[in-house]
Amino acid sequence: MMSDSNMNEKQATENKENEQGENQKYTIELKNVTKRFGNDVAVDKLNLQMEKGTITMLIGPSGCGKTTTMKMINRLVQLDEGEIKLEGTSVYDIDPVQLRRTIGYVIQEIGLFPHFTVYDNIATVPRLLKWDESKIKKRVEELLDMVTLDSSYAYRYPLQLSGGERQRVGLARALGADPEVLLMDEPFGAIDPINRLKLHDSFLEIQDEIKKTIVFVTHDINEAIKLGDKVAIIRDGKLVQYANSTEILYNPANKFVENLLGQDRSLKALTLKRTKDFISSEDTITLDKEISEEEVLKLLQEKDQIVAFVLDENGKLSGRYWLEKTRKDKVEINYDESPILTEQNNTLNESLSTMFSSGEKLLPVVNRRNKFMGVIRLNHIFEEFNK
Amino acid sequence: MNLFQYISENFNKIMELFVEHFFLFLFSIIITTIIGVSLSIIATDEGREKIGKTILSITGAAQAVPSIAVIALVFIYVGIGKTPTIISLIIYSLVPVIFNATSGILSVPKGVIEAGKGMGFTKNQILWKLKIPIAVPVIMGGIRSAATIIIGTAVIASVIGGGGLGDLIFTGLKLNRPEALVAGAASSAILAIIIDRILGYVEKIITPKGLKVEK
Repeated sequence: MMSDSNMNEKQATENKENEQGENQKYTIELKNVTKRFGNDVAVDKLNLQMEKGTITMLIGPSGCGKTTTMKMINRLVQLDEGEIKLEGTSVYDIDPVQLRRTIGYVIQEIGLFPHFTVYDNIATVPRLLKWDESKIKKRVEELLDMVTLDSSYAYRYPLQLSGGERQRVGLARALGADPEVLLMDEPFGAIDPINRLKLHDSFLEIQDEIKKTIVFVTHDINEAIKLGDKVAIIRDGKLVQYANSTEILYNPANKFVENLLGQDRSLKALTLKRTKDFISSEDTITLDKEISEEEVLKLLQEKDQIVAFVLDENGKLSGRYWLEKTRKDKVEINYDESPILTEQNNTLNESLSTMFSSGEKLLPVVNRRNKFMGVIRLNHIFEEFNK
Repeated sequence: MNLFQYISENFNKIMELFVEHFFLFLFSIIITTIIGVSLSIIATDEGREKIGKTILSITGAAQAVPSIAVIALVFIYVGIGKTPTIISLIIYSLVPVIFNATSGILSVPKGVIEAGKGMGFTKNQILWKLKIPIAVPVIMGGIRSAATIIIGTAVIASVIGGGGLGDLIFTGLKLNRPEALVAGAASSAILAIIIDRILGYVEKIITPKGLKVEK
C-alpha cells in the first residue's frame, strides 16, 4: 500500500515535470484533433507535437488529411474536436486574423499578389501589423538578400518572375514579419525537379539561419526525408508513423510506410547525408584570375594534381583548369568557365548522381552564394563508407 | 435641305438634346455601376460562389433580351417621362455590368485569396485590396459596354418621353426628314465614341500596373 501510493506520487510529479517540459519544448501541439466533412472523417484523433526550430513534414496520399491538419493550425479550417496549442496557448483563444498575422503561410500556387510589386508582396504582413515604413524597407532588403534575390527585384511584378523566383518571393513574404511558425503547403510542388532540388538546398540553408518551427505538407517522400527533421506519415486521417528520417528509413512502422519509401531505401538513406560532411581534406589548388596558363600548368605538375579552381575576389568559383593527356607524355591544359559543381547542402545521393552523370571523380563544392567550399572525391566517399 | 444647313439652323436644339442625352447617360451609368458592382460583390462573397455562377448564366442569357422589350415593360408598369426612361436604361445596362463584375471577381486566382486570408487579411481587405483591384480590367470592360448600350438604348427610350437625341431621330422619321435622322444618329454615335474613349482612359489609369507588365 505504502509503496503503491509513493509510486503514484512519484509518477504524478514526473507527469507534472513532463508537462512543464513540454510547454517549453513544443511550439505546436495537436491533441486528439478531429475534423469531419459531412460524414467523412478527414482527420481522426491526431496527436502531434512539433519542436521549436524544427521542420515537421506531413506526408501521405492525397486526401489523407495532411493539408486539413495544417490548415487547422492557422484556423483556415475549423476543428471539430480536440485542441491545438501554439506556444502553450490554444489557437481558439486568439482572434483568427491576428493569429494568421503571426504565422507565415506559403501555398503551392504561392498566391503572390499580381498587382503588388515584389517589395509590396514581402511587406504585406508588416504593413498589416502597421510597422514603420523604414523598418519595413530594412526587412524587405534583408529578406531579398536571404532568398538570394538581387535588390533590383524589389520593384518587379510577379508576372515578370520565373517559377523559382516566385517561390523565393513567396518564402520571403511568409517570413515578412519574422513569424515563429511557418506553414508550407507543397510549396515546391509546381517547380520542375532540377529547380526543386536547388530550392530545397537554399531552403535548408535559410532554415539554418532562421531556425523557425516549420510544418511542411508534401506528397513527395524524397522531399520529406531530405527536408524533415521529423516526418509524420498520415493515412486516412490517422497518424501511421511519426519519427525522424533515419528512423523511418531503417524502421518503417508497417507495410504502408515501406511501400511509401519504395524499394531503394538504402539509396534513399544517402539523402540523409550532406555533401558538406564529405568535403575532402586533401589539398586542392585554388587560384585567382590573374595567373597565366603556363604558370597553372607548372603549378599543377609540381603538386602532381590534374585540377585547379579559379576563384574571384569574393571566393566565388569562377572557373576550372584541368589537364588532359593528349598523346604519349603530352599534356594539354584546358579551361572551363562554368565547371560542373555541387552545393554543400546537396544530399550525398545528389552529388553522387552528378558525379555519375558527368563522369567526374572530383567535384567542387560551393555554398548557396556560389562561394567555393572545397572538393569531394569519389574514392574518399567510398573510404568513408567502408570505415 | 441638306444636312449641314439643317445642323447650322438647328444647332442650339441639337446641342440641347445632346446635353440632355448625356445627362440621361450619366445618371444611368452611375446608378447602374453602383448597383451592379455591389450586387456582384454580394453574390461572389465567400461561400456564395454558387450564387455567383448562377448569376453569370442568368445575365449571360439576359444579354439576348431586346432593349425595346425592357422599355415597353417599364412603360407599362411605370409610365412615361424621364424617370421610367432612366429606370429602363439602368435595368437594361445592369446586365453587362453584373456579368463582367461577377466573372471578374470569380476569376481572381484562388491562391491569391487563400494566401491573403492565410496571412491575416480581413474580409474587407481581401475584397478591396485583392479581389477588386485584380478584377478592375474586367469590371471596367462591363462598364464600357454598359455605357455604349445606354447611349444607344436612350435613343429608343425617347418613345416613352425620355428626351435626348432620340427625339431628333423620331422627328426625322415622322416628318420624313433624313437630315434630322442622320444628325441625331451621328450625334449619339459621337457621344458614344467620346464616352468610350474617356472610360478607356479611366480603365488604363485604375488598372494596377502589375497586371499590365510584359513577361
